[in-house]
Amino acid sequence: MYSCFTHLIPTNRTATQSSTNKTKYHKLSMVNINGIKPKNGSYYLCLGLEGSANKLGVGIIKQSYNPDFPEKEFTDTEILSNIRNTYISPPGEGFMPRDTARHHRNWIVRLIRESLDECGLKDLSAVDCICFTRGPGMGAPLYSVVVVARALSLLYQVPLVGVNHCIGHIEMGREITHAANPVVLYVSGGNTQVIAYSENRYRIFGETLDIAIGNCLDRFARTLKISNYPSPGYNIEQLAKKSDRSKELVELPYTVKGMDLSMSGILAFVDRLAKDLFKGPKSGNKKLFSKSGEPLVTVEDLCYSLQEHLFSMLVEITERAMAHVGSSQVLIVGGVGCNVRLQEMMGLMCRDRKGMCYSTDERFCIDNGVMIAQAGLLQYRMGDVVQDFKDTVVTQKFRTDEVYVSWRD
Amino acid sequence: MDEIVTGVEHYLTENVPVKLISQGAEALVFETSVHPYNPNKTDETYIIKYRPQKAYRHPQIDKTLTKHRTLGESRCLAKLATMSGINAPQLIACDPYNGYIWQSKIGGLLPNGEFSNLKNYLWFNKNDPYSTINVENVLISVGKQIGILHCNQYVHGDLTSSNIVLEKSGLNNWIPFLIDFGLSSYSTLVEDKGVDLYVLERAILSTHSSFAENYNKWLLKGYESAYNEFYGAKSSELVQVLKKFEEVRLRGRKRSMIG
Repeated sequence: MYSCFTHLIPTNRTATQSSTNKTKYHKLSMVNINGIKPKNGSYYLCLGLEGSANKLGVGIIKQSYNPDFPEKEFTDTEILSNIRNTYISPPGEGFMPRDTARHHRNWIVRLIRESLDECGLKDLSAVDCICFTRGPGMGAPLYSVVVVARALSLLYQVPLVGVNHCIGHIEMGREITHAANPVVLYVSGGNTQVIAYSENRYRIFGETLDIAIGNCLDRFARTLKISNYPSPGYNIEQLAKKSDRSKELVELPYTVKGMDLSMSGILAFVDRLAKDLFKGPKSGNKKLFSKSGEPLVTVEDLCYSLQEHLFSMLVEITERAMAHVGSSQVLIVGGVGCNVRLQEMMGLMCRDRKGMCYSTDERFCIDNGVMIAQAGLLQYRMGDVVQDFKDTVVTQKFRTDEVYVSWRD
Repeated sequence: MDEIVTGVEHYLTENVPVKLISQGAEALVFETSVHPYNPNKTDETYIIKYRPQKAYRHPQIDKTLTKHRTLGESRCLAKLATMSGINAPQLIACDPYNGYIWQSKIGGLLPNGEFSNLKNYLWFNKNDPYSTINVENVLISVGKQIGILHCNQYVHGDLTSSNIVLEKSGLNNWIPFLIDFGLSSYSTLVEDKGVDLYVLERAILSTHSSFAENYNKWLLKGYESAYNEFYGAKSSELVQVLKKFEEVRLRGRKRSMIG
C-alpha cells in the first residue's frame, strides 16, 4: 500500500530555503513560506483531521498566497469550517481506546461531509493537502482517523501531511493571538509542558514528571462521579465557583521541582479526602467533620482548592521559564487552557512582570481539526509532505521537540 | 512592579538604599552596600532577595510558600556555610515572614558585559572553539559542587544554568557558586537526588541544546568525582543515585502524551 502521488509534489526544500532573502527585509528576517504554489493559484485550502483523544475534529482553512510579500509574520488564516464531535463516557469512567476509536469511525465521514457543505465545496479535489495527527495520542483513535486520511488522499490525489499534535496547538494559538515569540504553556488531558522556541525547534523547558494536569482533573472528577459532559474539567471549574471563599483553603501538597512539576501525589491526596468525605463521619477522616458529624468541607471546596493549587504550580513554572529565557509573553494552549481561572491567574502574573498573556477560547483551545490544518499547511508550504505511505504510520509517543520547525527562524 | 519596589524601600527605610538588579521568577534581587548589623563593614556590596506577594496565588498558599521557602533557603545557606567544599552565598540576615534574605554578593560580569551565571557563560562561549577546555573545566567543577551537595544529603531542587553563578579567579578560570536554594531540602532519598540530576539535565538540554550532550557528560564527570572523593571509588551510594537517575529519565521518556 504505497502512495502514487509523489510526482505531484515538488520536493524542493532546498530551493524554498535558498529563495529566502534574509537581508532584504529589515523588519524581521523571515522564512519565505510561499515556495509552493497553491492549486488554484491564489490561495491554499487545507483539510485537517484530528482524533488523538476523545475529540474528533474536522477543519478546513484558507490561507492567502503572497509571493510578493513574504515578510508577513502570520498567515492570515481564514477558518471556513471547524466542527468537533466529542465522545462522552458515562460519569465515573474514562474513555477507553476501543470505544473512542469506534466513535471516531462512526462519525468521521459525516463530519467531513458537513464540513465540506459548510464551505460549499463539492469534494476534496480542490484541497491542497490533507493533514492528519501523526501523534502523540491514543493509538486506536489515531489509527482510525489516519485510515480515512489515506483513503481520501488516494481518492482525490491530494498529498498528505502528518502533524505533531502539540505543534498544531502552538501554531493555532500563535495565529489566533498573534503572539510573536511567546513562552507556551501547553496544558491538556495528556500533556503539561512549558515550551519556548529556539533554533528551529519548540524546546520543552518544563514538564510534568508523572501525570498531566487534565488527567489529574479528569480522574478527580471520576472519583466524585461528576458528569463528563461537556468536559470534566469544565464541571470542576463550575463547582469551584460555588465554593465558599470565606472558609479556609483545604491544604494540598505543592510539588514544583525546578521548572518541572509532579501531580500524582496531589491527586492521590485529594482523592483520599474525597473518599473519606463520602464515607461519612463514622469511618472517614475525622478531621473532615465537626463534632456533631457535619462535614466541614464540601465537594465544591475540594474542587476549588485543587484548582488553586494546580494552577499556582502551573503559573509558577511558567514564570520560572520566562525568567530563564528572558521572555515577556505567555501563550496558553490546550484543553485546560480555556479555564477562566487559569487565564486570570496567568494574567496577574504577567501584569507583575510587565508582560502579556495570550489565550484562546474553547473553539481553538480544545482539540480541533483547524489547528492540525494550520500546522500542516505551514509544513506543506515548506515542502514537508508525506512521500510514502509508510511515513503515515501514527505514533503514540511523539515529543514536541522532535519536529523541525522550518517555517520560523 | 513599581509598587513592589516602593514597598521594599518603605520596609528597609531610607537608611538602606537599594538598587533593583534583577527580577527572577519568584524573587526580586536588590543590591545594597549596607550591612544590617555591622556598621564597620562599608566596603562590600550585599544582596537583598525579596519574595513579593504573588497576586495570582491564593493568599493562604502564598503565605505558606513564602515563609517556607525563605526559611528553608536561610536554613540551607546557614548549614552549607558549615560544610567544606561548597560554594554558596553567605547568609547575613533573614525575615521569613516578610520574605527577605540578606546575603553576600557573588558573581561579576563576563567579558561581554553580561552577568556571570552559567547560562550566559555557556552562551558566550558557544561560538568560540578555543574555549572548550575552559568550559569543560567549569562544568566539571559545577558537577563537583552538586556532587558535594548531594553527598551532604542536601538537594537543590531547582538546578538550572541560571542558578549557578561563576566567580572569576585568575585569567580564564571561573569558580561556580550555587544560588537560589528556595526549593532545596535535606533529603537522604536517592529519588530526590535522581530528580535533581534529571531537572538539571533537562534544563541543559533545552537551554544549551547544541552542545548539551558534552555539557551533561562533563557535569556528570564532576559529579562522580565528588562522590569518589567523599565515599571512595566505586561507592554503592554513587551507583544507587545513577541508577535512580536513569530510572527517572526513563520515566520521563515513557510518559504517554495524549491530548
